[in-house]
Amino acid sequence: MTSELVCRRCASPVEIDDIRCPICHHATPSVMPCDLPQTRVEVLRCSGCGVAVSYSVSARAPKCAFCGSVVQLESPGDPLEQSDHFLPFTVDRETAAAAYRSWLAGLGWFRPSDLKSRSSVESLRPLWWVGWVFDSKALVSWTADSDSGAERAEWAPHSGQAELEFDDIVVSASRGLSGRESTHLAESYDLSSARETPNETVPDAVVERFDLQRSSARSTVTAAVERLAARRILDNHIPGTRFRRTHVSVLHRRLSTRRTSFPAWVLAYRYRDRTYRTVISGQDPSCILGNAPISALKIAVTIGAAALLAIAAGGCLVLLGLFN
Amino acid sequence: MRTARCPYCDSPSVVDRPATPDRPDPVFAIGFDVDEPTARSIIRRHIAGRRLAPTALKRRALDNIRGVYLPTYLYSAVATSNFDATIGEDYTVVTVRDKKVKRETRTELRRLQGRHTCYVSDVVVSASKTITNAEVEAVEPFDLRALRRYSPALISGWISEEPALERDRCLELARTESRSALKDELRRFMPGDSVRDLRHTTEHSDESADLALLPLWVAAIRERDDADPIRLLVNGQTGRAYGKIPVSWRKIAFLIAAVGAVIGLLTLILGWIG
Repeated sequence: MTSELVCRRCASPVEIDDIRCPICHHATPSVMPCDLPQTRVEVLRCSGCGVAVSYSVSARAPKCAFCGSVVQLESPGDPLEQSDHFLPFTVDRETAAAAYRSWLAGLGWFRPSDLKSRSSVESLRPLWWVGWVFDSKALVSWTADSDSGAERAEWAPHSGQAELEFDDIVVSASRGLSGRESTHLAESYDLSSARETPNETVPDAVVERFDLQRSSARSTVTAAVERLAARRILDNHIPGTRFRRTHVSVLHRRLSTRRTSFPAWVLAYRYRDRTYRTVISGQDPSCILGNAPISALKIAVTIGAAALLAIAAGGCLVLLGLFN
Repeated sequence: MRTARCPYCDSPSVVDRPATPDRPDPVFAIGFDVDEPTARSIIRRHIAGRRLAPTALKRRALDNIRGVYLPTYLYSAVATSNFDATIGEDYTVVTVRDKKVKRETRTELRRLQGRHTCYVSDVVVSASKTITNAEVEAVEPFDLRALRRYSPALISGWISEEPALERDRCLELARTESRSALKDELRRFMPGDSVRDLRHTTEHSDESADLALLPLWVAAIRERDDADPIRLLVNGQTGRAYGKIPVSWRKIAFLIAAVGAVIGLLTLILGWIG
């Protein structure tokens, strides 16, 4: 969110057409100041025909009974989300293809031997997948049962508060990438490289759409902050080693979100009539994630060898026992 | 009143006065979604649904029905609660007596004290002296997503009351509402298998209370011409109705007599069979 408006209570940025802060529901200042020196009687007149206008239930707006024109009201906007930050591609097509080849070679023993020679690349497409990057300060109140301090029962109750800070946390909004893929890729980006427009070096890159309205985007982001807060509380703040019934209540302060597009190369390759997908970060060729076929024969051979070894070892033990 | 109509030409007008601490400018408003015929039929259904209401009342026409923009304060704040509770943690005791294994669940009581901080928002309290806060609560909730910035155009042609209650009193009402909502919130927040003696003290800070005009249909009905009018309310946005409908003592007497007769008859029959 690039606007300069900031909530007076929780310091989170608000959009120009918000009438309340999305986080703490504090009213935002009106665009039109209305300080009146004295009492004034106002008759609203239709801009079309000059007749006095009153609010109409059927139009859900003030409407002129004579000419039917409707007065526009200031109401909260809920547009579709759109990226306003683009991380540039720094990995070109050749580097991405090379990264794919070395990844394929280094997959390990359980892959088919002819994978490298018989697989063929079907497509290699540049894509900007979308997500939010947020920064937030939060006061988190928590309660939980833990094994620490337990007496007769297995659990003892605990509670506490912690100030947490979140910097540059990526929440995926992508429908195309899986959660595992986006989490893995997110670590490879230099978030400070964000620009306001897509870069020209990769002109055919497709920008994924958000497919979400602002209101649901906000609830997705606050839910992500709450999940993350709960995890941090579990890891660092609750005494003991085992927990249950963890509750957190998050007081957001200064929650700011940037709608961001992240560059990636999506590669599809074919091996024995099946297609597999590999995703390569657009900023770091070593960050690559994909699926690949597994050789059933090699697995069978390994299990067989392991079984033989076990039998041999058992036999040795038995023989040793006989000799003793 | 914030709105008026010209007695000669019926033109609607909106009166804008300079704001005072107890009569601030409206910040938000919700427009009417329910029109008058719908509100009338909702009230009819509401009365018809009360089987014990006097028949005379069901047959009478509504005295009048008016769409009113009710002054309310929309309250939000940071709420910090210190809580003190007794948490029950269950454990199982296995005893062997006479070769029988007996499992018994017992509860260990532990005390838990702590602090909980959150935002409270969307607390609506009436600023009207005529329509009490309890009556507004009875037709709540309002869908606050439809909240719009107040504009005189939104209330033009409708009745709009000025806030009559002092702001401090409304704030106190809002804090009380917030405290009782927090009680439920804290109960859900507690760990353990059971909770008892949950007490909390809550401080509100960073408060804001904005005047919001909310749509309400107000109607009156009388059982007889000389009887007191009964006030009926319909939420102008959601259509939720409220009204204290009296019961007919004749109907209740008849019901008691009928139940008595059935019991008497059953006793007779049972006695005859036995």
